[in-house]
Amino acid sequence: MPKTSVKTYEQMNQELAELMAWFESESVDLDQALVRYEQAAKLLAQMETYLKTAQNKINKIRAHLGA
Amino acid sequence: MDGVILSPTDFVALLNHTLEFAYPNVTIEGELANFRVVKNRWVYFSLKDEVSSVDFFGTVYQLPGPLKDGLMVRAVGAPRMHTRFGFAVNLSSLTPVGEGSIKKAADLVRLKLQKEGLFDPARKRPLPSYPQHIGLITAAASAAYADFIKILGQRFGGLKIDVVDVYVQGDQAPTTIVRAVEHFNQMANPPEVLVITRGGGSAEDLAAFNDERVVRAVAASRILTLVAIGHETDESLAELAADARANTPTGAAARLVPDKVHELINLSANKVELVRLSRQLFDDAAASLSRDREGLDLQVARLFEVESQRLATNRRLVGLFDPKAALRRGYALVRKNGRLVKSAQQIKPKDKLSIDFADGKINAESI
Repeated sequence: MPKTSVKTYEQMNQELAELMAWFESESVDLDQALVRYEQAAKLLAQMETYLKTAQNKINKIRAHLGA
Repeated sequence: MDGVILSPTDFVALLNHTLEFAYPNVTIEGELANFRVVKNRWVYFSLKDEVSSVDFFGTVYQLPGPLKDGLMVRAVGAPRMHTRFGFAVNLSSLTPVGEGSIKKAADLVRLKLQKEGLFDPARKRPLPSYPQHIGLITAAASAAYADFIKILGQRFGGLKIDVVDVYVQGDQAPTTIVRAVEHFNQMANPPEVLVITRGGGSAEDLAAFNDERVVRAVAASRILTLVAIGHETDESLAELAADARANTPTGAAARLVPDKVHELINLSANKVELVRLSRQLFDDAAASLSRDREGLDLQVARLFEVESQRLATNRRLVGLFDPKAALRRGYALVRKNGRLVKSAQQIKPKDKLSIDFADGKINAESI
């Protein structure tokens, strides 16, 4: 059975926190920095999409309830 | 019979035969004297007037209750000559006569049964509010019967009424009433309430309802009892022993069932109240739900706001870590064989280098 790799918001948040912690450490390698920066940017975009989608879903439910 | 010689036994038999034929039953009214009960069962007494005295013999089961010498009573019985004890009237029934005696006899019964607790209010059981099946003990040809049935029909109607027609006055009244109570109590599907009723009358007419046997039968009834005897002012012992009493037969009907007109009015009022209450309940629930939803919306909105702000802060922070930000400020990245050159010592003449600028990349050679 294929394993679904959809990350939860919490997991993404955790990953972003780890990346940011890496950047704040002293032994930053520039090559690594580029890779990780890209990863962090991607994560941020994903998290923004996630939040946007969740907010849309809430709005839809609210409309359905007639609020 | 002249010249016929009889033995005492033959004579007694002949006399009894004649008495049986001539006086199968006699009713004698007189003053009670020498009243005594032997072994709690056998009863001996005399009825006397100014001139004569007649002996009676019977059992306590034929008495209306405790008795005392001096009471005026009416006794019914069969005159007999006993083989050993001589002449006596074999008692079949006895009732006090005259207002004074009736009252005294009733007082004796009242005193006796009161001591036994038969009139104790704690014994009273509540009548059902809407009985469906009623047992009626009364004289079926009486005005009391007609009144009771009429008022019952007017007030509620549709009830099952079983009637046992009884004597409500006279010698036979106590036994027929007791039998009727027992009959209802032995039924496989007994009624919910027994109603014993009769209209008003003289103290003598109502005496059966002060009879110890009747009062005991009412008190012992497993079926609930409602007794209504006579007019407003009459109070019989049977009423005192019953679970409930009413003043008249009409009063008994009113006591037994509610008035359907009032019931319908009440029902209608209850219906309106029920609708109002349920509407109120739903309104309250809806208001509470609405408040909950508003609260929830607020919480969710707050959550999104906090999270969006946090994300924006993170984006700014990550932007600070962008290695290309330095290139945009004029710095360049030099690579040799794909690896970043961090020191001039790493470069020798003729080395092939690649240099990354913010806006592109060039290849170069060191000199």
